Amino acid sequence: MTTVFILISLVFGAYLVAVIEDWALTGRFRLTAPVFSALALLGRESVLPRKLDRVFFEVAPVLLLLSAVLAVAVVPLSPDLIITDLATGALFINAALVYVLVALLMAGWGPDGAYAMIGGWRFLGQLIAYAMLIVMPLTAVVMRAESMLTTEIVVSQAGLWNIVYQPVGFVLFFIAAMALAFLPPFDLPTSKGDLAGGVEAEYSGVRLAVFRLGRLVLIITLAAATVIFYLGGWQGPWLPPWAWSAIKILVVTAVMLLGGRMLPRIREAHLLSWCWIFGIPLALLNIFLVGVLVLVFP
Amino acid sequence: MTAQTFFIGFFGVAAVWFGIVVFRTFSMVRSALALLFSQTALGAMFLSMQVEFLGVLQIMMMATEMTIMAIFMVMFMMDPGGLGKMDMTHQKRLSLAVGIVSFVAAVAVAVFIDWGPLASTAPDAAQQTVDLGLELLGRSMLIFETAGITILTSMIAAIAVAIQPLKRNDKS
Repeated sequence: MTTVFILISLVFGAYLVAVIEDWALTGRFRLTAPVFSALALLGRESVLPRKLDRVFFEVAPVLLLLSAVLAVAVVPLSPDLIITDLATGALFINAALVYVLVALLMAGWGPDGAYAMIGGWRFLGQLIAYAMLIVMPLTAVVMRAESMLTTEIVVSQAGLWNIVYQPVGFVLFFIAAMALAFLPPFDLPTSKGDLAGGVEAEYSGVRLAVFRLGRLVLIITLAAATVIFYLGGWQGPWLPPWAWSAIKILVVTAVMLLGGRMLPRIREAHLLSWCWIFGIPLALLNIFLVGVLVLVFP
Repeated sequence: MTAQTFFIGFFGVAAVWFGIVVFRTFSMVRSALALLFSQTALGAMFLSMQVEFLGVLQIMMMATEMTIMAIFMVMFMMDPGGLGKMDMTHQKRLSLAVGIVSFVAAVAVAVFIDWGPLASTAPDAAQQTVDLGLELLGRSMLIFETAGITILTSMIAAIAVAIQPLKRNDKS
């Protein structure tokens, strides 16, 4: 029952993400736009490239969707509303989301097209930039909670949310999460301007619909992860816990989608050097500071 | 046969099968990703054996490592797409012999070693993580640090080999 409820809210969440993204892109708030574009995609022919790697081409969109959905399994929307409370929850989210890279690489290599391939390899470079900035801030979060159970991590923020307790970690994680979801300004693998859609370029019809759905679910998953790791999860006054989760997840999603649009697309080399020269030392500093705080004010 | 035994066997067979696929394909990226799914199946075997942390870690680490290996293979191989039916194998007799000897040695170690008394129940997943942490910071620390430094050195060496040397008149 919990699983069904969470999956339904995930679909609804993906729909809302699509509405917000459309709003951010066109400036018009249209509740029906995602429905029409989904119908249009499903109605169109799904063209196959001429010399493709069939296995990769078919598997990639499904794998993208699957990895985002798997990560949701350990996200608690309220103390009881969680599919499985794994003892390695914080690590599991990571493990599931690493397969986003595998999916994009497959989507890049599969169709045997130049733009797609450049997009796929670009995302590998992007992973080298953001991966450490996901894992290291998470280490600090886990250190404070003294547990990798996602429910324990939320409970550990009862007195003070992690966004206040470890603001450096939050900023790094937020940026890295946006890079993982290849949202602007980190939309290097799917950039419209210089790669004509990149890994999306050769997809059409139902396969593109699955790919886009996977991306929407990925965005909502990362927003949910940000909420449980840094924004106190379901905690909040007056409203029921699930409502707080929903509100916070939507706000984070909106900030991710609207904020990135204001910035120019980052260059791959800049992303890599900034992440390694500034990001990783800051993440280490964050771990050190949280370690001191945990020891001094247990 | 319990469900646990079934799944251990299933993922074991999957791991071996994907291992075979690595050498049956001409495409370097397919080869690397087949190795990835072989390692993922190993991670799933860990999970079936109730070793949660190691299983999740294996599934996570291998995805990054094998995709990075894919780009190294594309960089270094003369025909990464496998379109020219390049033969990946060489020194066949030697590798066959080495393969058989190492297989027999591994099986012999598994069969003949004294593994000590079997634990009747696995500790719960959170306890396993604690135990593993203490082990890694205790007697296994030297081994893991050595392995880490070795891997880092070989990564730097591989990148150094991949970079084209700067020609004298290119310096401007």
